[in-house]
Amino acid sequence: MNLWQEYKRPTSVAEAVQDLASAAGPALPIAGGTDLMLDLRQGNHPPVHTLIDLTFIPEMSALELRGDELYVGAAVPVNQVALDPMVGTHAQALTEAANLIAGPQVRNTATLGGNVAHALPAADGTIALTALDAVAEVASALSGVEQSRSAGVETRRMPFTSLFLGPGKSAIDKTREIIVGFYLPTAGPHQASCFKRIMRPQGVALPILNCAVWLERDGDLVKDIHIAVGPGGSTPFRATEAESFLRGQPFHDETFARALDCLLDQAKFRTSARRASADYRRHIVGGLLRDVFDTAWKRAE
Amino acid sequence: MTIQSVGQSVPRVDALGKVKGEALYSGDLSMPGMLYMKILFAERAFARVKSIDTSKAEAAPGVAAVYTAKDIPVNEYGLQIPDQPVLCGPGAAKPYTDLVRFVGDQVAVVVAETEAQAAAAVKLIEVEYEDLPPLLDPIEAMKPGAPLLHPDRGSDNICVHYRIRKGDIDEGFKKADVIVESEYRTPVQEHAYLQPEAGLTYIDEEGRIAVVCAGQWTHADRDSIAHALGLPNEQVRVIYPAIGGAFGGREDLSVQIVLALATMKLRKPVKIVWSRRESIIGHGKRHAVILKARWGASKDGKLVATESEVIGDGGAYMYTSNKVLGNSTITHTGPYFVPNIKADIYGVYTNNVPGAAFRGFGAPQALYMAELQMDKLAEKLGMDPVEFRLKNALQQGDTMSVGTPAPNPVSITEVIQAARDKADWANRGSKVVAGTPLVHGRGFAAGFKNVGFSFGYQENCWAKVEIYGNGQIERAVLHHAGAEVGQGTHTVMVQMAAHVLGISPDLVEIRTSDSAKQGNSGSVSASRMTFMAGNAIKGAAEAALEKWNAEERPAIAEFKYLAPPTTHMDHDTGYSMPNFQYAYSAQVVDVEVDTETGHVRVTRVVAADDVGKAINPDLVVGQIEGAVVQAHGYAITEEYKTDKNGKVISDQFSTYLLPTILDIPEQVDSVIVEIPDPNGPWGARGLGELPYLPYAAAVAAAVHDATGVWIHEFPFTPERVLRALGKI
Ligand SMILES: Cc1cc2nc3c(=O)[nH]c(=O)nc-3n(C[C@H](O)[C@H](O)[C@H](O)COP(=O)(O)OP(=O)(O)OC[C@H]3O[C@@H](n4cnc5c(N)ncnc54)[C@H](O)[C@@H]3O)c2cc1C
Repeated sequence: MNLWQEYKRPTSVAEAVQDLASAAGPALPIAGGTDLMLDLRQGNHPPVHTLIDLTFIPEMSALELRGDELYVGAAVPVNQVALDPMVGTHAQALTEAANLIAGPQVRNTATLGGNVAHALPAADGTIALTALDAVAEVASALSGVEQSRSAGVETRRMPFTSLFLGPGKSAIDKTREIIVGFYLPTAGPHQASCFKRIMRPQGVALPILNCAVWLERDGDLVKDIHIAVGPGGSTPFRATEAESFLRGQPFHDETFARALDCLLDQAKFRTSARRASADYRRHIVGGLLRDVFDTAWKRAE
Repeated sequence: MTIQSVGQSVPRVDALGKVKGEALYSGDLSMPGMLYMKILFAERAFARVKSIDTSKAEAAPGVAAVYTAKDIPVNEYGLQIPDQPVLCGPGAAKPYTDLVRFVGDQVAVVVAETEAQAAAAVKLIEVEYEDLPPLLDPIEAMKPGAPLLHPDRGSDNICVHYRIRKGDIDEGFKKADVIVESEYRTPVQEHAYLQPEAGLTYIDEEGRIAVVCAGQWTHADRDSIAHALGLPNEQVRVIYPAIGGAFGGREDLSVQIVLALATMKLRKPVKIVWSRRESIIGHGKRHAVILKARWGASKDGKLVATESEVIGDGGAYMYTSNKVLGNSTITHTGPYFVPNIKADIYGVYTNNVPGAAFRGFGAPQALYMAELQMDKLAEKLGMDPVEFRLKNALQQGDTMSVGTPAPNPVSITEVIQAARDKADWANRGSKVVAGTPLVHGRGFAAGFKNVGFSFGYQENCWAKVEIYGNGQIERAVLHHAGAEVGQGTHTVMVQMAAHVLGISPDLVEIRTSDSAKQGNSGSVSASRMTFMAGNAIKGAAEAALEKWNAEERPAIAEFKYLAPPTTHMDHDTGYSMPNFQYAYSAQVVDVEVDTETGHVRVTRVVAADDVGKAINPDLVVGQIEGAVVQAHGYAITEEYKTDKNGKVISDQFSTYLLPTILDIPEQVDSVIVEIPDPNGPWGARGLGELPYLPYAAAVAAAVHDATGVWIHEFPFTPERVLRALGKI
């Protein structure tokens, strides 16, 4: 019983989605394999017929400025994301998250696409991208007649939070779609971000709690803000209530306390038997958010 | 000129092979025509196996055989008592073999041409169980009338009971000015060997069943396997390949008997490799222990009386619970003199994964209680905890809990002082870090542990030395069965042989770990191998050298070392002379506690250990640092979790959290104390377990120093710390 029968290495997005759609049995994309191989080996995912390796597609391994957006290919290794100076300039939260994912060996092969497509509510790259308001480019195979046109591939842009349906459930149909890459807004003046997390043993697992904040400052006022916390619900959580409260407010202890109340009302912290209790998460989220917020606030000066 | 090897940091004899990936571990072995085995585990904590239907599995592609309880000639094994079925199920001659008593009990095995075929066929085995309500709490399990796990082994589930009655505790407590009463709980710990259980069996050139599988005592493994197969011991041969860690856990068997059975029946090589999950659920762990203490001291800082109760969760089978809890008994009052002692120490059968031998062997649990009691008494007396310990430290001639003194020299005073001085105990930095939720604290704990298993057993160890050459010694061959489990014992053995012969260790070849080729070495456990093998090798090498000097060529001599005799514990009082030596340990631990998140970070450890003589100082430091890291996992990060049905939920390394390089103490200062044991080879005592012993208690003391709260149960997970601080 092999875990897969066929292994394909397409070199274009079109080829990849066609390989997916035309596979002779159940097929899945694979990037770093750091989630997928474990799932297959441990039997959490049934064996597949075909694996489609996304790491030989130039478009998916690109990391560059495109107009006023920063493009990060979904198959760029996390370690490259962590080291890239453009990411550091425009999306420091992503640099910080990428630096904290796992250990060096895993970082050298894991990708952001895999992190996002795995659809866990507290994946570190995912939480950073949530706060950065990333937009995903998704490619799907066209069926039947349409297939003759446009090389059988259609791409569309999806707002980040629409990529998730539930824990481990991606809105991407992995039997015919792939995430090609992510577009991030480049940072303007007085805009900055930060990511931090709280976890036990470093470098081997998902965190107890993580948090990313992107904000724009106008002197002492919060002009705009995005707050993401994981796990704060069944999908990557945006603290939209806290965000709308803070927009236009001066930042001080009192406004922070109000914002935190909003977040605690909106978030759905869970007890996970193996990791942490809901009580513990509720207790520590304030300190973590404050720490992340303060750092981003200073950076946006 | 003779070469002095003892005391030198000679490079490890096994280093190159391991670093280059050439050393072969059980899982790396294969042979032509080899078959693969997979085991069907019960995956339920307590049940009766009503029936097993293997017909579909037998008909599956590639399957050579499926075995169940009825196929095992003598369906029982166990290092101390044979209370564990090899396979659980109906059809065996022995009664109650149809009970499964923990999730990792083995019910059937499949042998097939490929591993995948064996795994697929295991799923086709149909087992009908009658589930029974599992007994998971030792306190419930020991109550009269509780359902019995082993109805053939007496009328309750108590499998071990030791009593200590020394002096008169009522009189003792009358002299107490302060009394401290507390209850502690220590957790299960997974051995987490780098290399999970694996093995290969085949028929050797002399028709014996050869079992190549990591272990700790070739001859004991051999005897257990032979017993279950109904064979004479000589028909089984146990060979150790490279061993990826043992820590006590490999004293008990896992895959050996079923593999040997398959080879015996099929006359073909058979191999198995356990997954990490199988390793985590299928084999013994460190005992969880509940400890209740009421201890008293007088105003002048002297212990006057202690009353304690210790309940060890033995899990489903005895394994070595009787020995582990024997050590808890000896160490439960710490390395201190107490005139009046009452203690009851129990081991209890439950439907948890069996409690097994694990570095420290019952002492870390007992010492957690003893050391915290000491700290609390010192606090009540307003004394410095180190001062209080020194006031009560065992001196030469002081009787221990068992009513007799520890053999000389008793070095706990020197060891405590060494740790205190290296750490500059009294001079600690400020407790708070201004503007942060961080607080700093410093803790002290001591410990001690017997070297060797003893308790009346005549400790022995065999060695053979061959010297080759003409005018001068050209090379020597050392034969010794002792297991290299990663600690460096083979290097130390070679050094000791070379030292006696006055030659370079490069000229000594070691042949080892084959029950068909060497005499009995005893187990590599109880910190005994340097002491025991050293004396055996010294004896053999000296005898061979004598023959060499008398012109014998080659000069060959064997020697069996017998350690000083010991006695077993009296049933009613514990009175005995149970051990021929102890080794002593003390640690200072500095922590930083985040009062917002509950994280405990260890910034520095000073570890002082009396090894008698450091045969190889680098290896001593390696053992100290390794033990500290392993104890750090025990104290802070690791948590073996089971659900209400006894199923293990922390069954992968993503949920059973071992410390990583980013979590371990930032600095470990090893202080090697050398107060020679007159019976030890070159004065050596033992080491492997020592630096593990005080750590959890020292962390608890440091956390208390930082936060003002005592935490009676560990691991010190962030949540537990915050709850103790009253924050959640
Ligand atoms: C030891 C260890 C530690 C870890 N620590 C962390 C951590 O600290 N933080 C953290 O967040 N994660 C951690 N992880 C999880 C994992 O490494 C990350 O989620 C990683 O980013 C996954 O990327 P990958 O390329 O390896 O994904 P893969 O395993 O290749 O794929 C994961 C899933 O996504 C699908 N997929 C992959 N790429 C695409 C795509 N472009 N489009 C559509 N579907 C796709 C696959 O089909 C699969 O279902 C850890 C993993 C390990 C093994």
